[in-house]
Amino acid sequence: MAKVSAMDIYKLLPKTNCKKCGESSCMAFATKLQNKKAMVEQCPIMNTPKFEKNKKKLIEMLSPPVKEVWFGYSDKKCVMGGDEVMYRYELSFFNQTPLGIDISDNLPEEEIKNRAKYVEDFVFERTGEKLKLDFVAIRNASNDPEKFKKAVEVVQGTTKLPIALCSLNPDNIEKALDVVKSKPMIYTATKDNFAELLKMLIAKKEAGKEFALVLSSDDIKTLKGMTKECVKYGIEDLVLDPHTTPENIAETLDKFVMIRRSAIEKEDKLLGYPILGLPINTYMYVLNGNNPINQFIEEPDKVAGIMEARTANAMLNRYADAIILHGTEIWELMPILTLRQAIFTDPRKPQAVEPGLYPIGNPDENSPVIMTTNFSLTFYTVTGDFEKDNVTCWLLSMDTEGKAVDVAVAGGQYCGENAKKLIEETKIGEKVNHRIIILPGLAAPVRGDIEEKTGWTCVVGTRDSSQVGEFLKKNWEKILNDWKSKNA
Amino acid sequence: MIYNDRFFGDSMDLDALIKIVEKVGKVEIDNIEITADELVINIPSAPPMVIPQTPALKETLVEAGLNKELKIEIPEVDWETPINEYKGHIREIQFGKPKSEGGRGKVVKIGGQRALYRFEEPQPNAPVVTFDIFDMPMPGLPKNVRQYFEDVMQDPTEWAKKCVKEYGADMITIHHISTNPKIKDTSARDAAKLMEDLLQAVDVPFVIGGSGDPKKDPIVLEACAEVAEGERCLLASANLDLDYKKVADAAMKYDHNVLSWTIMDPNMAKDLNRRLISHGLDADKIVMDPTTCALGYGIEFSINAMTRLRIAGLKGDELVNMPMSSGTTNAIGAREAWMVNPKWGDRTYRLPLWEISTGLTMLLSGVDIFMMLHPVSISVLKELGKTLITKPGEVKINTDNYEWIRA
Repeated sequence: MAKVSAMDIYKLLPKTNCKKCGESSCMAFATKLQNKKAMVEQCPIMNTPKFEKNKKKLIEMLSPPVKEVWFGYSDKKCVMGGDEVMYRYELSFFNQTPLGIDISDNLPEEEIKNRAKYVEDFVFERTGEKLKLDFVAIRNASNDPEKFKKAVEVVQGTTKLPIALCSLNPDNIEKALDVVKSKPMIYTATKDNFAELLKMLIAKKEAGKEFALVLSSDDIKTLKGMTKECVKYGIEDLVLDPHTTPENIAETLDKFVMIRRSAIEKEDKLLGYPILGLPINTYMYVLNGNNPINQFIEEPDKVAGIMEARTANAMLNRYADAIILHGTEIWELMPILTLRQAIFTDPRKPQAVEPGLYPIGNPDENSPVIMTTNFSLTFYTVTGDFEKDNVTCWLLSMDTEGKAVDVAVAGGQYCGENAKKLIEETKIGEKVNHRIIILPGLAAPVRGDIEEKTGWTCVVGTRDSSQVGEFLKKNWEKILNDWKSKNA
Repeated sequence: MIYNDRFFGDSMDLDALIKIVEKVGKVEIDNIEITADELVINIPSAPPMVIPQTPALKETLVEAGLNKELKIEIPEVDWETPINEYKGHIREIQFGKPKSEGGRGKVVKIGGQRALYRFEEPQPNAPVVTFDIFDMPMPGLPKNVRQYFEDVMQDPTEWAKKCVKEYGADMITIHHISTNPKIKDTSARDAAKLMEDLLQAVDVPFVIGGSGDPKKDPIVLEACAEVAEGERCLLASANLDLDYKKVADAAMKYDHNVLSWTIMDPNMAKDLNRRLISHGLDADKIVMDPTTCALGYGIEFSINAMTRLRIAGLKGDELVNMPMSSGTTNAIGAREAWMVNPKWGDRTYRLPLWEISTGLTMLLSGVDIFMMLHPVSISVLKELGKTLITKPGEVKINTDNYEWIRA
């Protein structure tokens, strides 16, 4: 639940119900604003001088307790933070965590190029969405300003990826800042380099340079002191790094929670900034000889990948607003990308598609009838697979209240009664000359119930929709002919 | 005018100096040492002044002038660890019975939390993983799970022994799959016989599972509960689709715990708990399973359900303050875990990682006991679980947060 009520917002609006914002009334607009589904600027009256004061007040009122901070290019941004709640069911989480991959400036130019290109081109597609990596963290491993600069130039010459400049040396950061073309995220200010780095950055900012700055300390009080000092000098695009400690990741996760709770529940503005996690520290820790699963897997880089993903996913469950990783193998990134997709799914949006009949390909009276659920993840996976394998069929989407097959079978929504209703409503019987339904493998337990209630013959199909193409090719003709000969 | 250092005291007051400069236009300083830092910080855009014999200082003053009185430091601020008050607590549940009380030995406890987060108060019991085993060979399991159990799948007692001896299992979940009328329709008596053998084979507590057949399960669970009398097993499960009263009766009669299983709806979980309790089951004998959807298959619904139940429990709702269980093995059913697909990389690592990711998400949403399959996943999850019972600062941190920059 957002803290600000729609009524509080409404009080500051013009209350003319002019509809110019596209909503039917000022109250409707207020509700949209409350749910972050509209911007104050959409109201033309609020933009007039008379309402300047109200507008300012309203924007202040609506600004989230965790500041939204971005880096990258104006048309290719990594946006972090912007959150309003501690738990996603209370509203939604906003701005899915940007994932960055490190690049050492010690690598040969060709390798820097290849790694950057790999990050930019990386894509894992699921449920109709292209899941991608977001930025590169160029690290000044050489501690040489020239190599650092060169690496930045190579990356921005090859890709349009947002860049994090990572060095503890203010001089080297200054040099890199002079060549970077986008708004970078600077990693990092520490207790030790704070004064020197900040002085340099204040001058750069005065000269018109834009950047987001990471503040790093394992002590939250120190972090808060640092933000206070930065804000004093007008440096407000800040990110907090409370240290990622692989020996006991619970310490890090706790600090993430403390920072977020301070910002949201205790309204501590100086801690209301995005949080950066460094699973890469776990990767390095394993490479340094700490393999907790050497009983099963010995290859250090594989174990490092597993443990790094474990840290990353734990952090995604604990408010990480940006993450830097080292591993780039697809099997490691898949669960991280998938978990991010899940956590940032807007719980206010229904996770279901309209139940009903969906013709896939150009089905005719001899085409198979396949029955899935109306859970959107399931539905898009199924239709995606069917499209890929050129499956032609009548696809029935049962109203399972947006639940996946196994859950709906267990929960009783994927059942004979609902199947009967679906068959009647869609009049599928008039479209085909058979009475056969192919069920997902996971629906095998309710086959009897469905046959009994509908009178249709049920065939239990494959466990996974990606196998349906093959299954139909091999079996459909026989299934259909068998049925016809039995029911002739 | 001539001033000496005594006039200014031990540390020179530059503001005073500037005032004098403004008045007289010129200052001559004798017999004084000035370090650049002192001047950089304190002098604002000073009027031109001449200080003989200190040419190096001039440059510093010019720079300081540009940076306008920059005295950067990290100020002291107030901040307190944001600890919340909780009216309620999570119940502690015990599995197994010690030898001193006539049991088989090993005792496992879960729950008992008095706060949501470790920094408020570490939980008293580490999360527990219970190894899934089946009463018949499972050819359907993916090869890289089967490889760990291929040699014992024919014999559930050997299977259980391997889990305990080789993989350090805290608990075992026996799924009496073959009792399903559509599979082998093994009788409840035979299931109970197997249960007796299992209890003798290993000393860890058991979760006793049926086959998912709503008619047969209560009968099978009752028969197994009887032979395991007093062993404080977990009967899996009581749910609204079957005769949950029969399951509760078996637990009450033979001293076991009950898994109260519902589908991702906190209100449904509360409703079933209420029914079980009003039937006479002790609330301290209930573990909730609000359903684990695998990563990528609705895990966000499980996150919400678990989190809401845990928070409600800590706030003092006595009908939902039970420990929670997760059927994490569901994750292996996700195609991203089991499917052989070169585009998705090596399944050897992908499969356990999918189960790990599902499990740790549930762990961080409040789950206390995990039903899992892959030994690698179990090791990694347990390692993470153990960190939750450490006290803040207890584990010494020696790594350098910035090593990765230089590596």
